[in-house]
Amino acid sequence: MGQSDLDRQIEQLRRCEIISEAEVKELCNKAREIFIEESNVQRVDAPVTICGDIHGQFYDLQELFTVGGDCPDTNYLFMGDFVDRGFYSVETFLLLLALKVRYPDRISLLRGNHESRQITQVYGFYDECMRKYGSANVWRNCCEVFDYMSLVAIIDGRILCVHGGLSPVVNTVDQIRMIDRKQEVPHEGAMCDLLWSDPEDISGWGLSPRGAGYLFGGDVVDSFLRTNNLDLVARAHQLVMEGYKHMFDATCVTVWSAPNYCYRCGNVAAILEFDENLASNFKIFEAAPQEARGAPAKKPAPDYFL
Amino acid sequence: MSEQMSVDSAPPAAAPGGVSNPMHYDFEDAQAGDLGALAAIADAMKSDNLADRLESLKRLGVLALAMGEERTRDELIPFLDESIDDEDELLLSLAELLGDFVQYVGGPKYAYVLLRPLENLAAAEETVVREKAVESINKLVESMDQPQVEEYLIPCIARLSSGEWFTSRSSAAGLYAAAYGKVTDAIQSKLRAGYEALCKDDTPMIRRAAASNLEGLVGKIEKDHVLSFAIPNFRRLAEDDQDSVRLLTIEPLVAITKRLTTEECKQHLSENVQKLCTDKSWRVRYMVADHFVSVAKNIKDQELQEELVNVAISLMHDNEAEVRGSICTQLDGLADLAAPEAVVSRLQAPLQELVEDPSQHVRSTLAKHIGSLCRVFGKEGTIEHLLPLLLRLLKDSFPEVRLNIISKLDVVDSVVGIDSLSQSLLPAIVELAEDKQWRVRLAIIEYVPLIASQLGVQFFDEQLLNLCMSWLGDPVYSIREAATTNLKKLTEVFGVDWARSTIIPKILAMANHPNYLYRMTTIFAITTIAPSVTPEIVRDQILPALECLVNDPIPNIRFNVAKSLEPLTAALRKSSDTAALESSIIRPTLTRLEEDPDPDVRYFAHRSLTAINNGSPTTA
Repeated sequence: MGQSDLDRQIEQLRRCEIISEAEVKELCNKAREIFIEESNVQRVDAPVTICGDIHGQFYDLQELFTVGGDCPDTNYLFMGDFVDRGFYSVETFLLLLALKVRYPDRISLLRGNHESRQITQVYGFYDECMRKYGSANVWRNCCEVFDYMSLVAIIDGRILCVHGGLSPVVNTVDQIRMIDRKQEVPHEGAMCDLLWSDPEDISGWGLSPRGAGYLFGGDVVDSFLRTNNLDLVARAHQLVMEGYKHMFDATCVTVWSAPNYCYRCGNVAAILEFDENLASNFKIFEAAPQEARGAPAKKPAPDYFL
Repeated sequence: MSEQMSVDSAPPAAAPGGVSNPMHYDFEDAQAGDLGALAAIADAMKSDNLADRLESLKRLGVLALAMGEERTRDELIPFLDESIDDEDELLLSLAELLGDFVQYVGGPKYAYVLLRPLENLAAAEETVVREKAVESINKLVESMDQPQVEEYLIPCIARLSSGEWFTSRSSAAGLYAAAYGKVTDAIQSKLRAGYEALCKDDTPMIRRAAASNLEGLVGKIEKDHVLSFAIPNFRRLAEDDQDSVRLLTIEPLVAITKRLTTEECKQHLSENVQKLCTDKSWRVRYMVADHFVSVAKNIKDQELQEELVNVAISLMHDNEAEVRGSICTQLDGLADLAAPEAVVSRLQAPLQELVEDPSQHVRSTLAKHIGSLCRVFGKEGTIEHLLPLLLRLLKDSFPEVRLNIISKLDVVDSVVGIDSLSQSLLPAIVELAEDKQWRVRLAIIEYVPLIASQLGVQFFDEQLLNLCMSWLGDPVYSIREAATTNLKKLTEVFGVDWARSTIIPKILAMANHPNYLYRMTTIFAITTIAPSVTPEIVRDQILPALECLVNDPIPNIRFNVAKSLEPLTAALRKSSDTAALESSIIRPTLTRLEEDPDPDVRYFAHRSLTAINNGSPTTA
């Protein structure tokens, strides 16, 4: 697959058109080769714009790029949950993946709790793959990529980015580096917690109502930042109506990038820009208006017999 | 709040052995004629899994090809007919498929064999299945000749029309129009009688189907029968006690008026039109409002049209916002119904009220359509009566209202001239240029070159220049991008000297911005305007600035410099004074960037260099 093929696929995906099953397979193989070289703790340099959950809301992802700038001109770090719930998980994930393969130094993708075989069978990505490709092969290829994605990123050694939050069995960043991440998201343990936990106004740790991960308080964040010489935990995972939310004296921030989540929550979305001096700036955006969405892509399954 | 349901929870822990892997039939390697694949399709048709059955249906053409036309007719179609008690999703696909299946059963002369399963599907309980079946039958009829239609379709319509359950009768109504043109007079008269029976049916659902399909039939029947058949049935339906039936008669009404003379319209329809306009159900009034101009235009009687303008005005005062909104969409055509003076005097008061309408949806629709009235109001009338309304809408609290007005301003321009427009609208535009909604700002930017060309340099520099430059620093990327395009257009309007002294220094100043995204805007801006300025400006002002950015610590800046050198080279080659810079500056710079530590910088430097070497750098 040459760069020009890839560029064509990116153009196609930007128009919200799927690429062929064979192309997906090759793209996923390339992506896996790139992810396998990345550590559990991905090193990211500022300037970078960080983004939260997207959930298959393709046209809102386009809106995000319209507001934040195109890849590769703007550097991006996406903190997981690319798929499920929205109508265009396939196009959304494949576009981000294609950009990652084309510009590995300009965009980073972390794993979210929805990047999992089990969850995608419940919340829509599996069904969408079946509907759009007529077989589960694309879903299977994507799931294999999920297993290789980094768990956290650290920007300029100061900001920890993770999909969910902290874990009671993780005190140091080095402990995250020890995890064997190349597997389905487990039901408990450090890897599960990083992708499932939520901050909460409590002290210490609490049980999560989600049934996976934990609730963690401001004191937990404070001691983690101190131990690891960090300034901030940036995470996604929870809908915030205003697009972003600071907690614990701004030592923890939630960024949410799916406007009008599930096409009905009425929330705005945000991205967080860090410039080269780590000065931060939130950009708020709303769901793409109807005119920008185009007609629902109604692609018949590829016909193998012609 | 749905916030609660949108939070996910972990699924119950899976049994040891991990994650289940849904089973499916793998058609991937199947080829036409491959027996294994055919067997797989046949197997999948009987599978317990709906997804597999659906998949097999998509590949039915292959199976039919392999079976041959005769066996497809004798075995496959009857088999499909038997599978009719399957899930709705499957029936829907089947109904669609059968409409395109003529080629597999032996061409048009055998199309009738497909009628039988489709007739059964047309009686299905699920509406979408029925509708699709009717659509497919109508598709088949196109390829059938008269004897076939009479022998097979007419009995089919008769059976459906006399079906006991409402579903088949409702489908029947959709088949008359296609059949009508393909049968003898005697059968046509039977069809009319059959359709009339549907219009009189006891079940409202059937009367609705009859009403919504009447339009198609009106187009097919003789003029005499419009009077003797269509009008009586239209009247019956238009006076139905169910509003859901009445509201469906507006479209047949339009179709009927098209076939009648002015005199006939007046004689046969005026009473019904009046009644529908003042119907007690808002849904009916909404449909009237929505089709108002097409109804009124076809009734060519002057007196009646004048009356209809009054009706329209009363709809503008309707209690229901939906009705007020839909009559606003008709403003353009409405203006042609009466003499211009009459329109101006009679619309003023209702427009005043609509501008203040409590529903933002109504105001937004009004904003979209009010501009079309300028044509009728004329210059004086627009300035006197419409401009104040436009101004009020421009300051509306709802962004969509503001956006709709801005995007129609050029229509207003063409009538009143830019002078009066800029004097009265400029303050509002300046205010909107800082609107919170970036799409509103974008609409304003796109409008600026037009204003600029009319205002002249001096006025522009005083009023709008700072604004144009401030957009370059907008927090939203697409506004910064639009701002650079805007500067290019302005350069084309005001000339190169103006650009050199006024905008280029301001653009270049941004090259020192501490945030890389804004430094990048400098590069975008100079790349965009390069084709519109002289090679000397590129040499004296632009290149030196880029030489500084080429050493930027951020790779994104460096690769954008690399990209921009390609169009700049094209600009330099235009003059023999500057062409030499290509070898003295551009090439060495790109060659250096080809050794950059960052792979993207190397890639774009290489790409630009290759394009320059090929001799035909693309201009921006």
